[in-house]
Amino acid sequence: MQVFKADVVIVGAGGAGLRAAIAAAESDPAQTIALVSKVYPMRSHTVAAEGGSAGVVQAHDSFDHHFADTVTGGDWLCEQDVVDEFVRECPREMVQLEHWGCPWSRKADGHVNVRAFGGMKIERTWFAADKTGFHILHTLFQTSLRYPSIRRFDEYFLVDLIVDEGRAAGVLVVEIASGEFTLIEAGAVVFATGGAGRVFRENTNGGIVTGDGMAVAYRHGVPLRDMEFVQYHPTCMPGTGLLFTEACRGEGGVLVNRDGYRYLQDYGLGPAEDKPRNKYMELGPRDRLSQAFWHEMQKGRTVDGRYGPVVHLDLRHLGEARLHERLPQICELAREFMGIDPAREPIPVRPAVHYTMGGILVDGGCASPMPGLYAAGECSSVGIHGANRLGSNSLAELSVFGKRAGEAAMRYAREASRADSARLLQLAEAAATPARALLTGDGSERIADIRREMAQSMEEGCGIYRTGERMQATCDKLAELAERYTRVRLTDRSSVWNSEWLLAIELGYQLEVARAMAHSALLRRESRGAHQRLDGFEARDDVNFLKHTLSTRAADGVPQISYQDVKITRSPPAVRAYGAAQHAAEQAAQGGAV
Amino acid sequence: MTGQTKTVAVLRYRPEQDEAPVWQEYQVPYGDDTSVLAALNYIKDELDGTLSFRWSCRQAICGSCGMMIGGKPQLACKAFLRDYPERVTVEALAHFPIERDLVVVMDGFIDKLQKVKPYLIPREMRALEDGEYLQTPEEMDLYAQFAGCINCGLCYAACPQVGLNPDFLGPGAIALLHRYNLDSRDGGQAERMEMINAELGVFNCTAVGYCSEVCPKMVDPANAVNVNKMNSARDYFFRFLRPAPKQGGCR
Amino acid sequence: MSKRRPYVRPMDGWFKRDPFFIEYMAHEGTAVFVWLFALEMLAGLFALAAGEAAWGGFTAFLASVPGLLLNGLILVMLLYHGVSWFLIMPRTLPPVRVGGRKVPGSTISAVGLAAMLVASFAVVGFFCLLANGGQG
Repeated sequence: MQVFKADVVIVGAGGAGLRAAIAAAESDPAQTIALVSKVYPMRSHTVAAEGGSAGVVQAHDSFDHHFADTVTGGDWLCEQDVVDEFVRECPREMVQLEHWGCPWSRKADGHVNVRAFGGMKIERTWFAADKTGFHILHTLFQTSLRYPSIRRFDEYFLVDLIVDEGRAAGVLVVEIASGEFTLIEAGAVVFATGGAGRVFRENTNGGIVTGDGMAVAYRHGVPLRDMEFVQYHPTCMPGTGLLFTEACRGEGGVLVNRDGYRYLQDYGLGPAEDKPRNKYMELGPRDRLSQAFWHEMQKGRTVDGRYGPVVHLDLRHLGEARLHERLPQICELAREFMGIDPAREPIPVRPAVHYTMGGILVDGGCASPMPGLYAAGECSSVGIHGANRLGSNSLAELSVFGKRAGEAAMRYAREASRADSARLLQLAEAAATPARALLTGDGSERIADIRREMAQSMEEGCGIYRTGERMQATCDKLAELAERYTRVRLTDRSSVWNSEWLLAIELGYQLEVARAMAHSALLRRESRGAHQRLDGFEARDDVNFLKHTLSTRAADGVPQISYQDVKITRSPPAVRAYGAAQHAAEQAAQGGAV
Repeated sequence: MTGQTKTVAVLRYRPEQDEAPVWQEYQVPYGDDTSVLAALNYIKDELDGTLSFRWSCRQAICGSCGMMIGGKPQLACKAFLRDYPERVTVEALAHFPIERDLVVVMDGFIDKLQKVKPYLIPREMRALEDGEYLQTPEEMDLYAQFAGCINCGLCYAACPQVGLNPDFLGPGAIALLHRYNLDSRDGGQAERMEMINAELGVFNCTAVGYCSEVCPKMVDPANAVNVNKMNSARDYFFRFLRPAPKQGGCR
Repeated sequence: MSKRRPYVRPMDGWFKRDPFFIEYMAHEGTAVFVWLFALEMLAGLFALAAGEAAWGGFTAFLASVPGLLLNGLILVMLLYHGVSWFLIMPRTLPPVRVGGRKVPGSTISAVGLAAMLVASFAVVGFFCLLANGGQG
C-alpha cells in the first residue's frame, strides 16, 4: 500500500473542497494539502449549478433581509447564529471569486449585476449567465493551481476514513486507474463530497452524487442531521430530471397548467401579476412550488407527458435575444434534449430531487463531533438550510464554509500531534479488507437491481408528500436491500479502471444515506419545509418538532434517531407566508410595532 | 422506448486481458431521446458490467463523457442513437492513450492546462474591501466565449497535430490561455507568451480547424490558436523596439 | 505492481479517417497548383526576356490543347483553394466588430469570397480591355 503524508487531506474537489484547499494553502503555505477527488475537479457537480449565488450587494437590501429570507425559507429549522455569520460573509466571498477571475455578469457600468430568485425579498443573486456553478468551479480549480502546496489526487476514490483513538487521522483511497490502495495520513480531514440526490430515481444530479462522505462519516459514528429534508426542484426535464434553473422564473418565466392557468395563485402565492414580483407566484420557494405541482396533479390539471404529468414553463414572452443572453444553457438543453425552442414553445417540466439539505453534523466552524474531521458544502449540515434551502444559498455556502473548513482544519492540523504511522497503516489495511471482499464476493445479487429498487422505493416513500405507511415500507425495503447488498456479485474483478467495483462501493454509501433519510422522515410527525405529510401531520408542530433530527448508525446498520435543539437568536417561528399573505403579515407586524 | 433496438459497437480494451483493442457489439433498446450515454449505462447495468467509461452530469457541462461516436469526437450525453443507422460505433477519444475501454489517459492534457497559467494575474492589486474590479459587458464579451471551455478534450481528439506530436500544447489549453490574456483584469500576457512562442506552442498548428468544428461549447479554440500566431509573430518582430513588458503584480 | 498498460493507437493514415481531414488535405494539396501557376508565370517572364521566338513558343504552348488543359486544371484547383481558404478565414482572424457587434464567421467568409470574385472579374475585365486595344 502506498502511503502519502499530508498535513490536511480534503476529500472532494468541487466548489467547497477547492475553496477549502485554497484557504488552507493561504493560511499556511508550508503545510502540505492533499486534495482527493474521484473525478477531475472540473467534473464535480458544482459545475451543474446554474442560477447563481447569494450575496447582499444592493443599497436597499440588507443582511437582515438575507437572514430573514433564509430562516423563513428554512421554515425556522436553521441555526440562526450560523445564518447571521453566513449572510455577512457572502458578499466578501463573492468579491473574492471575482478577484480570482470569475466572470460574473455585469451591468453596463462594469459593476456586478444581480438577479431575482425564488423566496428572496430583494435581488441578491450573483450570476454568470446561467452557468454560475460552472464558472465558480473552473475559477476555483484554475486558481488552486497557483498554490504549490496543494497536491491533487485526481481520480482517487474514497474507501474509508482512518480514525485513530477517536480522531480523524487520514483517509484510505483507491487510485482508480490502477485499482491500488493509498493511505493518506493527515493531521485533519475535510469532507467536501457533495450531496446524495442519486438515491432518488428522478433527480437533477450527476452520476457521482452518491453521498460518499456522508456515509463514511456516518459509519464512524458521526451523526447525520436533518436528512429527511430533500429538496425537489420544481422545474426539471421529464425523464432525465435535468434542471431548468430557477433563474428562468427570476427572469420572468411563468408556470401554467393544462388550461394555461398560472395555478400557483391557488396555493397562497398570488395574486398573479404580469411582472415578476419577489416572493410572489413563480418566485415563491422551491418546496411550495413542488408541492403545488403535486396538488395540480391530484386535481387532474397537469398535462400528460411521455414521462408522466407535466406543467409548462413558459418563457416565450422574454423574447429570443434576452433568452440567449441570460439563459443560453437553458435554450441549449431544451433544444438538444427535447427539440424545443423556448422562444417559441413552452417547456414541459416536473419536479425532481435536487438537493440534500441535511448532512454531516458540523458546527458553524465546520467541525464535526469527531476531533479532526471537518465538513463543508452539500455533504455537511452546518445549519443554514433548515427544512428547505433558499435558492442560491448553496453556491454561497460552499465558498463561505469551504473557506472556514480549510482554515479550521489547518489550524487543527498544526496543533494536533501526529498518530503513529505503523498503526495507521494497520488500520488502513483493515479498512481495505471489506472493499477487497466486495471485489471477489460470491453472491448472486446485481448492483444495478439494488440501486434501481432503492431509487424507486425512495421516490415512493420520501417524495414530495409522505405518509407513515409508505415511509415505513421504504424503511423495510431499504433494510431488505442492505441485506441483499452483502451478497452482491461483481462481473468485473480486474484492477484497472474497474468502475463496477466503484459503483458497488458507492451503492453501499447510498444505502446508508437512504436509510438515514427514510428513518429520519418516518419519525418526524409534522410537516415542515420539504417534509410534508398527508397522514394527520399536515401542520408544523413547533412544540414537538422545532428540533433537528440526528441520525446515528447503530452497529446493525439501523439508524437511531434523536433530536437536537435549534438555535433561535432573533427570529422566533412565525407563519411562513408568501405572496399577498406575506405582504399582509408584514403590514400587520409593522402596524403592531407602531 | 419503442421496443426497437440498435447495435452499439464499442471498442473494448482491458489491459489485463486484451493485447490490443477489440470491437464488441451490444443490442440496445432506444427511443428518440436515448443518448449514447444512456445506451452505455443500459449496457453497463443490464448487459455487461465490465464496460468502463466516464460520465457524470448528463447535460454537457462536466466534460467527462467525450468519446468517438460514429468516428467523430462528441459528448456521449449530447449524441443520440436516433441520429445513426442501425449501428453506431463508440470508441475512446482519439489521440489519447486508452487506459481501458472508453476511458483515456488524461494526465498529459491536464498538465497542459496547468502549464498555461490559467488564472488571473492581476493587472493591478485590489483589496477585497474595495469591491470588484470593474469590467463592462463589452470587455467581458471579448473573452466570454473562451471561458466557456469545459475541458472535455474533444478538440484534442480532432487535432491531428496532437496525435502526431502528443507534446503540442493543443487547442484547449491555448484557448484557456487566451481567455486570461483577453481579460481586462489580467496583466499576465507577457508571462504566458513564453508558452505560445515555444516549440510546442501555436506554430504546431497547421490550421486544420476541426477542433472548432467539434467543440460542444462553441469556444472556437482554432481562433485562439491562430490569433496567437499573430501575437507571437508580432512579439518576435517588435520585442526589440519595446521596453521590457510590465510583470503582473502579485506573484 | 500496477497493471496499467495504456494503449496508444497508431496514427497511420490519419488523413483518411475523417471527411474533414480529407478536405483539409485537399485544401493543402491544391497549394501545389498555386506553385505550378507561379512556375508558369516565371517561365513566361523568362521567355519574354529571351526574345520574340521564345515568347511565341510560350504563347503557342498556352494556346495548345495540353496548355489549355493544364491551365484549366490549375484554375479549378486554385478556385477550390481560394474558396476553402476563405471558409477557414474566420477561424484565423481576431474577432471583427462592427458597431460593437461581433460579425459572424459566415459573413466574413462571404465578404472574402465576394472580394475574390470582384477581384477576378476586375482582372479579367482589365485584360479584355487590353486585348481589345482599349476599344471596349
